[in-house]
Amino acid sequence: MGEQKKTFVVTRFDPDRDDAPTTREYEIAVQPDWKTLDALNFIKDHVDGTLAYRWSCRMAVCGSCGMMVNGEPRLTCKDVLSQYGDTVHIAPLANFPVVRDLVIEFDGFMEKFERVKPWILRAKEKAVEEGTHRQSPEQLADFQHFSMCINCMLCYAACPVVSNEPAFLGPAAIALGHRYNLDSRDEGNGARNQVFRGDGTVFSCSYANECSEVCPKKVDPAAAVNQAKIGALLDWAKGLVLPRGGPE
Amino acid sequence: MHRFLLRIEPIVWLLFGQGVLIGTILLTSWVLVVGMLEPLGLVPADALAYERALRLGAHPIGRLVLLALIALPLWKGAHHLRHLAIEFGGHARDAVVAPVLYGLAALGSLAGLFAIIRL
Ligand code: FES
Repeated sequence: MGEQKKTFVVTRFDPDRDDAPTTREYEIAVQPDWKTLDALNFIKDHVDGTLAYRWSCRMAVCGSCGMMVNGEPRLTCKDVLSQYGDTVHIAPLANFPVVRDLVIEFDGFMEKFERVKPWILRAKEKAVEEGTHRQSPEQLADFQHFSMCINCMLCYAACPVVSNEPAFLGPAAIALGHRYNLDSRDEGNGARNQVFRGDGTVFSCSYANECSEVCPKKVDPAAAVNQAKIGALLDWAKGLVLPRGGPE
Repeated sequence: MHRFLLRIEPIVWLLFGQGVLIGTILLTSWVLVVGMLEPLGLVPADALAYERALRLGAHPIGRLVLLALIALPLWKGAHHLRHLAIEFGGHARDAVVAPVLYGLAALGSLAGLFAIIRL
Protein backbone atom coordinates (compact mmCIF):
# COMPACT_ATOMS: atom_id res chain seq x y z
CA MET A 1 0.00 0.00 0.00
CA GLY A 2 1.48 3.36 -1.01
CA GLU A 3 0.56 6.85 0.01
CA GLN A 4 -3.00 8.00 0.01
CA LYS A 5 -4.65 11.42 -0.08
CA LYS A 6 -6.60 12.63 2.91
CA THR A 7 -8.26 15.94 3.68
CA PHE A 8 -7.71 17.36 7.16
CA VAL A 9 -10.28 19.79 8.43
CA VAL A 10 -8.42 21.59 11.18
CA THR A 11 -9.86 24.07 13.66
CA ARG A 12 -8.05 27.41 13.58
CA PHE A 13 -8.42 30.17 16.11
CA ASP A 14 -6.39 33.24 16.91
CA PRO A 15 -7.98 35.11 19.81
CA ASP A 16 -6.26 38.35 18.76
CA ARG A 17 -7.87 38.30 15.32
CA ASP A 18 -10.87 35.97 15.29
CA ASP A 19 -14.20 36.24 17.10
CA ALA A 20 -14.88 32.54 16.75
CA PRO A 21 -12.96 29.44 15.66
CA THR A 22 -12.95 28.63 11.95
CA THR A 23 -11.67 25.60 10.06
CA ARG A 24 -9.10 25.20 7.33
CA GLU A 25 -8.78 22.27 4.99
CA TYR A 26 -5.48 20.70 4.03
CA GLU A 27 -5.27 17.96 1.46
CA ILE A 28 -2.05 16.02 1.76
CA ALA A 29 -0.67 12.61 0.86
CA VAL A 30 -0.27 10.40 3.94
CA GLN A 31 1.87 7.32 4.47
CA PRO A 32 0.20 4.08 5.58
CA ASP A 33 2.06 3.97 8.90
CA TRP A 34 1.37 7.57 9.92
CA LYS A 35 -0.20 8.64 13.18
CA THR A 36 -2.49 11.67 13.21
CA LEU A 37 0.34 13.75 14.66
CA ASP A 38 2.55 12.90 11.67
CA ALA A 39 -0.02 14.50 9.38
CA LEU A 40 -0.07 17.65 11.50
CA ASN A 41 3.73 17.80 11.49
CA PHE A 42 3.72 17.43 7.72
CA ILE A 43 1.20 20.24 7.36
CA LYS A 44 3.21 22.47 9.68
CA ASP A 45 6.50 21.75 7.88
CA HIS A 46 5.33 21.84 4.29
CA VAL A 47 1.95 23.52 3.94
CA ASP A 48 1.15 26.00 6.69
CA GLY A 49 3.73 27.00 9.27
CA THR A 50 1.23 29.08 11.21
CA LEU A 51 -0.66 26.07 12.60
CA ALA A 52 -0.27 25.85 16.39
CA TYR A 53 -0.49 22.58 18.37
CA ARG A 54 1.41 20.86 21.18
CA TRP A 55 3.51 17.75 21.06
CA SER A 56 6.81 16.59 22.40
CA CYS A 57 7.71 12.94 22.92
CA ARG A 58 5.88 11.25 20.03
CA MET A 59 5.75 8.06 22.09
CA ALA A 60 2.68 8.46 24.29
CA VAL A 61 4.44 9.46 27.49
CA CYS A 62 4.47 13.26 27.67
CA GLY A 63 0.72 13.64 27.31
CA SER A 64 0.84 16.90 25.37
CA CYS A 65 -0.61 15.89 22.00
CA GLY A 66 -4.26 15.29 22.98
CA MET A 67 -6.83 16.58 20.47
CA MET A 68 -10.32 15.82 19.24
CA VAL A 69 -10.04 13.63 16.15
CA ASN A 70 -13.37 13.18 14.40
CA GLY A 71 -15.02 14.29 17.63
CA GLU A 72 -13.22 11.82 19.92
CA PRO A 73 -10.44 12.71 22.36
CA ARG A 74 -7.26 11.07 21.08
CA LEU A 75 -3.57 11.03 21.83
CA THR A 76 -2.55 12.01 18.30
CA CYS A 77 0.95 10.48 18.44
CA LYS A 78 -0.66 7.10 19.15
CA ASP A 79 -3.69 7.55 16.92
CA VAL A 80 -3.40 5.39 13.80
CA LEU A 81 -4.42 7.46 10.81
CA SER A 82 -5.41 4.58 8.56
CA GLN A 83 -8.49 3.88 10.71
CA TYR A 84 -10.11 7.05 9.35
CA GLY A 85 -11.69 7.75 5.98
CA ASP A 86 -10.72 10.38 3.43
CA THR A 87 -11.64 13.29 5.69
CA VAL A 88 -10.30 13.76 9.20
CA HIS A 89 -11.52 16.51 11.52
CA ILE A 90 -9.05 17.78 14.08
CA ALA A 91 -10.09 20.18 16.84
CA PRO A 92 -8.71 21.24 20.23
CA LEU A 93 -9.64 19.11 23.25
CA ALA A 94 -13.22 19.75 24.33
CA ASN A 95 -14.05 21.30 27.72
CA PHE A 96 -10.96 23.54 27.81
CA PRO A 97 -10.43 27.18 26.85
CA VAL A 98 -8.41 27.52 23.65
CA VAL A 99 -5.19 29.51 23.54
CA ARG A 100 -4.74 29.19 19.80
CA ASP A 101 -5.68 26.71 17.07
CA LEU A 102 -5.29 23.28 18.72
CA VAL A 103 -3.56 24.52 21.86
CA ILE A 104 -5.66 24.49 25.03
CA GLU A 105 -5.21 26.27 28.33
CA PHE A 106 -4.94 23.95 31.34
CA ASP A 107 -4.42 26.18 34.38
CA GLY A 108 -7.75 24.99 35.82
CA PHE A 109 -6.66 21.39 35.40
CA MET A 110 -3.36 22.01 37.21
CA GLU A 111 -5.18 23.74 40.03
CA LYS A 112 -7.39 20.65 40.50
CA PHE A 113 -4.29 18.46 40.54
CA GLU A 114 -2.79 20.46 43.36
CA ARG A 115 -5.98 20.33 45.36
CA VAL A 116 -5.88 16.53 45.73
CA LYS A 117 -2.37 16.74 47.29
CA PRO A 118 -0.64 14.29 44.95
CA TRP A 119 2.33 13.57 47.17
CA ILE A 120 3.01 11.37 50.20
CA LEU A 121 1.55 12.95 53.32
CA ARG A 122 2.88 11.81 56.68
CA ALA A 123 1.77 12.74 60.18
CA LYS A 124 5.44 12.84 61.08
CA GLU A 125 8.30 12.72 58.57
CA LYS A 126 10.71 9.87 59.07
CA ALA A 127 14.25 10.99 59.84
CA VAL A 128 16.78 10.07 57.16
CA GLU A 129 18.65 7.75 59.58
CA GLU A 130 15.49 5.74 60.07
CA GLY A 131 15.72 4.58 56.49
CA THR A 132 13.18 4.39 53.70
CA HIS A 133 9.48 3.54 53.71
CA ARG A 134 9.38 -0.05 52.59
CA GLN A 135 6.62 -1.28 50.34
CA SER A 136 5.91 -4.82 49.20
CA PRO A 137 5.12 -5.69 45.56
CA GLU A 138 1.55 -6.45 46.69
CA GLN A 139 1.20 -3.00 48.25
CA LEU A 140 2.56 -1.45 45.07
CA ALA A 141 0.08 -3.42 42.98
CA ASP A 142 -2.77 -1.82 44.96
CA PHE A 143 -2.32 1.49 43.20
CA GLN A 144 0.21 1.04 40.42
CA HIS A 145 -2.19 1.18 37.49
CA PHE A 146 -3.69 4.42 38.87
CA SER A 147 -0.23 5.99 38.77
CA MET A 148 0.25 5.48 35.03
CA CYS A 149 -1.52 8.73 34.11
CA ILE A 150 0.40 11.01 31.73
CA ASN A 151 -1.87 14.04 32.28
CA CYS A 152 -3.02 14.11 28.67
CA MET A 153 -6.46 15.38 29.76
CA LEU A 154 -8.38 13.23 27.28
CA CYS A 155 -10.59 12.11 30.16
CA TYR A 156 -11.58 15.73 30.87
CA ALA A 157 -12.49 16.20 27.22
CA ALA A 158 -14.61 13.03 27.32
CA CYS A 159 -16.33 13.54 30.69
CA PRO A 160 -19.96 14.73 30.42
CA VAL A 161 -19.86 15.96 34.02
CA VAL A 162 -16.78 18.14 33.42
CA SER A 163 -18.52 19.71 30.42
CA ASN A 164 -21.52 20.50 32.60
CA GLU A 165 -19.84 21.39 35.87
CA PRO A 166 -16.46 23.00 35.27
CA ALA A 167 -15.79 22.88 39.03
CA PHE A 168 -15.85 19.05 39.11
CA LEU A 169 -12.43 17.74 40.19
CA GLY A 170 -12.52 15.39 37.22
CA PRO A 171 -11.23 11.89 36.44
CA ALA A 172 -7.44 12.33 36.33
CA ALA A 173 -7.19 14.44 39.50
CA ILE A 174 -9.44 12.10 41.49
CA ALA A 175 -7.57 9.04 40.20
CA LEU A 176 -4.30 10.63 41.28
CA GLY A 177 -5.60 11.54 44.74
CA HIS A 178 -7.01 8.04 45.10
CA ARG A 179 -3.66 6.59 44.05
CA TYR A 180 -2.06 8.30 47.08
CA ASN A 181 -4.91 7.24 49.34
CA LEU A 182 -4.12 3.64 48.37
CA ASP A 183 -0.38 4.04 48.92
CA SER A 184 0.76 2.14 52.02
CA ARG A 185 3.35 4.85 52.80
CA ASP A 186 0.78 7.64 52.87
CA GLU A 187 -1.24 8.94 55.81
CA GLY A 188 -3.15 11.72 54.08
CA ASN A 189 -6.47 9.95 53.51
CA GLY A 190 -8.38 12.27 55.81
CA ALA A 191 -7.17 15.44 54.12
CA ARG A 192 -7.80 14.13 50.62
CA ASN A 193 -11.22 12.77 51.49
CA GLN A 194 -12.20 16.22 52.66
CA VAL A 195 -11.19 17.55 49.26
CA PHE A 196 -13.16 14.72 47.64
CA ARG A 197 -16.27 15.79 49.56
CA GLY A 198 -15.76 19.54 49.05
CA ASP A 199 -16.33 21.78 46.04
CA GLY A 200 -16.13 19.79 42.82
CA THR A 201 -16.98 16.66 44.85
CA VAL A 202 -16.32 13.14 43.58
CA PHE A 203 -20.02 12.43 44.07
CA SER A 204 -20.83 14.59 41.02
CA CYS A 205 -19.58 11.72 38.85
CA SER A 206 -22.54 10.01 37.21
CA TYR A 207 -20.48 7.01 36.10
CA ALA A 208 -20.70 7.50 32.36
CA ASN A 209 -17.34 5.64 32.17
CA GLU A 210 -16.24 7.79 29.21
CA CYS A 211 -12.94 8.63 30.94
CA SER A 212 -11.89 4.99 31.05
CA GLU A 213 -13.01 4.50 27.46
CA VAL A 214 -10.67 7.18 26.12
CA CYS A 215 -7.72 6.74 28.51
CA PRO A 216 -4.67 5.88 26.34
CA LYS A 217 -2.80 4.43 29.33
CA LYS A 218 -5.58 2.16 30.66
CA VAL A 219 -5.56 3.94 34.01
CA ASP A 220 -9.30 3.25 34.44
CA PRO A 221 -10.08 6.57 36.12
CA ALA A 222 -13.77 5.66 36.37
CA ALA A 223 -12.89 2.82 38.74
CA ALA A 224 -10.69 5.18 40.76
CA VAL A 225 -13.46 7.78 41.01
CA ASN A 226 -15.99 5.23 42.20
CA GLN A 227 -13.58 3.72 44.71
CA ALA A 228 -12.86 7.27 45.84
CA LYS A 229 -16.60 7.77 46.47
CA ILE A 230 -16.65 4.73 48.74
CA GLY A 231 -13.49 5.94 50.49
CA ALA A 232 -14.95 9.42 50.99
CA LEU A 233 -18.18 7.88 52.31
CA LEU A 234 -16.42 5.59 54.81
CA ASP A 235 -14.19 8.44 55.93
CA TRP A 236 -17.27 10.62 56.41
CA ALA A 237 -18.98 7.89 58.48
CA LYS A 238 -15.81 7.42 60.53
CA GLY A 239 -15.77 11.18 61.19
CA LEU A 240 -19.18 10.87 62.83
CA VAL A 241 -17.84 8.61 65.58
CA LEU A 242 -14.11 9.35 65.79
CA PRO A 243 -12.33 12.68 66.11
CA ARG A 244 -10.53 13.83 62.97
CA GLY A 245 -6.77 13.46 62.79
CA GLY A 246 -3.94 12.96 60.35
CA PRO A 247 -1.77 15.37 58.38
CA GLU A 248 -3.36 18.28 56.54
CA MET B 1 -27.76 25.45 50.26
CA HIS B 2 -24.71 24.49 48.20
CA ARG B 3 -22.76 23.77 51.42
CA PHE B 4 -25.64 21.79 52.87
CA LEU B 5 -25.99 19.70 49.71
CA LEU B 6 -22.26 18.97 49.77
CA ARG B 7 -22.56 17.92 53.40
CA ILE B 8 -25.36 15.42 52.81
CA GLU B 9 -23.92 14.13 49.53
CA PRO B 10 -22.23 11.02 51.04
CA ILE B 11 -25.42 9.76 52.65
CA VAL B 12 -27.52 10.59 49.59
CA TRP B 13 -25.04 8.77 47.42
CA LEU B 14 -25.14 5.76 49.75
CA LEU B 15 -28.94 5.62 49.55
CA PHE B 16 -28.79 6.12 45.79
CA GLY B 17 -26.21 3.36 45.40
CA GLN B 18 -28.25 0.95 47.48
CA GLY B 19 -31.29 2.05 45.48
CA VAL B 20 -29.51 0.97 42.32
CA LEU B 21 -28.28 -2.27 43.85
CA ILE B 22 -31.02 -3.49 46.19
CA GLY B 23 -33.93 -1.24 45.26
CA THR B 24 -33.88 -2.26 41.63
CA ILE B 25 -33.87 -5.98 42.46
CA LEU B 26 -36.67 -5.62 45.00
CA LEU B 27 -38.83 -3.34 42.89
CA THR B 28 -38.42 -5.48 39.78
CA SER B 29 -39.33 -8.67 41.62
CA TRP B 30 -42.26 -6.91 43.26
CA VAL B 31 -43.64 -5.76 39.92
CA LEU B 32 -42.97 -9.19 38.44
CA VAL B 33 -44.84 -11.06 41.18
CA VAL B 34 -47.66 -8.67 42.06
CA GLY B 35 -48.05 -6.94 38.70
CA MET B 36 -47.62 -9.85 36.30
CA LEU B 37 -47.41 -13.36 37.73
CA GLU B 38 -50.32 -12.86 40.14
CA PRO B 39 -52.81 -11.43 37.58
CA LEU B 40 -51.77 -14.13 35.09
CA GLY B 41 -52.67 -16.74 37.69
CA LEU B 42 -49.14 -18.11 37.85
CA VAL B 43 -48.97 -17.69 41.62
CA PRO B 44 -51.00 -20.11 43.75
CA ALA B 45 -54.27 -18.38 44.64
CA ASP B 46 -53.73 -18.23 48.38
CA ALA B 47 -50.00 -17.44 48.30
CA LEU B 48 -50.68 -13.73 48.54
CA ALA B 49 -53.81 -13.97 50.66
CA TYR B 50 -54.24 -10.99 52.99
CA GLU B 51 -53.53 -12.76 56.28
CA ARG B 52 -50.48 -14.53 54.92
CA ALA B 53 -49.06 -11.41 53.25
CA LEU B 54 -49.61 -9.42 56.42
CA ARG B 55 -47.77 -11.98 58.52
CA LEU B 56 -44.91 -11.98 56.02
CA GLY B 57 -44.72 -8.18 56.00
CA ALA B 58 -44.95 -7.83 59.77
CA HIS B 59 -42.05 -10.18 60.43
CA PRO B 60 -38.94 -8.12 61.37
CA ILE B 61 -37.15 -9.17 58.19
CA GLY B 62 -40.33 -8.52 56.21
CA ARG B 63 -40.50 -5.00 57.62
CA LEU B 64 -36.89 -4.33 56.67
CA VAL B 65 -37.45 -5.58 53.13
CA LEU B 66 -40.59 -3.46 52.80
CA LEU B 67 -38.76 -0.36 54.00
CA ALA B 68 -35.95 -0.98 51.51
CA LEU B 69 -38.53 -1.60 48.78
CA ILE B 70 -40.27 1.71 49.48
CA ALA B 71 -37.41 4.03 50.42
CA LEU B 72 -34.42 3.02 48.30
CA PRO B 73 -36.03 3.42 44.86
CA LEU B 74 -37.26 6.87 45.97
CA TRP B 75 -33.68 7.99 46.69
CA LYS B 76 -32.45 6.41 43.50
CA GLY B 77 -35.12 8.27 41.53
CA ALA B 78 -34.53 11.58 43.30
CA HIS B 79 -30.79 11.44 42.70
CA HIS B 80 -31.21 10.43 39.05
CA LEU B 81 -33.71 13.23 38.44
CA ARG B 82 -31.43 15.75 40.12
CA HIS B 83 -28.55 14.80 37.87
CA LEU B 84 -30.85 14.83 34.86
CA ALA B 85 -31.84 18.37 35.80
CA ILE B 86 -28.18 19.35 36.10
CA GLU B 87 -27.43 17.78 32.75
CA PHE B 88 -30.18 19.75 31.05
CA GLY B 89 -30.09 23.02 32.91
CA GLY B 90 -26.71 23.19 34.63
CA HIS B 91 -26.31 24.12 38.26
CA ALA B 92 -28.39 27.29 38.22
CA ARG B 93 -31.54 25.73 39.66
CA ASP B 94 -29.91 22.96 41.71
CA ALA B 95 -30.40 24.89 44.96
CA VAL B 96 -34.16 24.46 44.42
CA VAL B 97 -34.37 21.19 42.49
CA ALA B 98 -32.19 19.12 44.83
CA PRO B 99 -33.96 20.01 48.10
CA VAL B 100 -37.38 19.43 46.52
CA LEU B 101 -36.41 16.00 45.14
CA TYR B 102 -34.55 14.84 48.23
CA GLY B 103 -37.35 16.27 50.37
CA LEU B 104 -39.90 14.18 48.49
CA ALA B 105 -37.73 11.08 48.87
CA ALA B 106 -37.35 11.76 52.60
CA LEU B 107 -41.09 12.33 53.02
CA GLY B 108 -41.89 9.14 51.12
CA SER B 109 -39.39 7.17 53.18
CA LEU B 110 -40.85 8.53 56.41
CA ALA B 111 -44.40 7.77 55.31
CA GLY B 112 -43.28 4.24 54.41
CA LEU B 113 -41.54 3.83 57.75
CA PHE B 114 -44.66 5.05 59.56
CA ALA B 115 -46.91 2.61 57.69
CA ILE B 116 -44.52 -0.28 58.25
CA ILE B 117 -44.29 0.38 61.99
CA ARG B 118 -48.08 0.22 62.20
CA LEU B 119 -48.35 -3.13 60.38
S1 FES C 1 3.61 13.64 21.83
FE1 FES C 1 3.97 12.99 23.87
S2 FES C 1 2.17 11.87 24.28
FE2 FES C 1 1.92 12.38 22.22
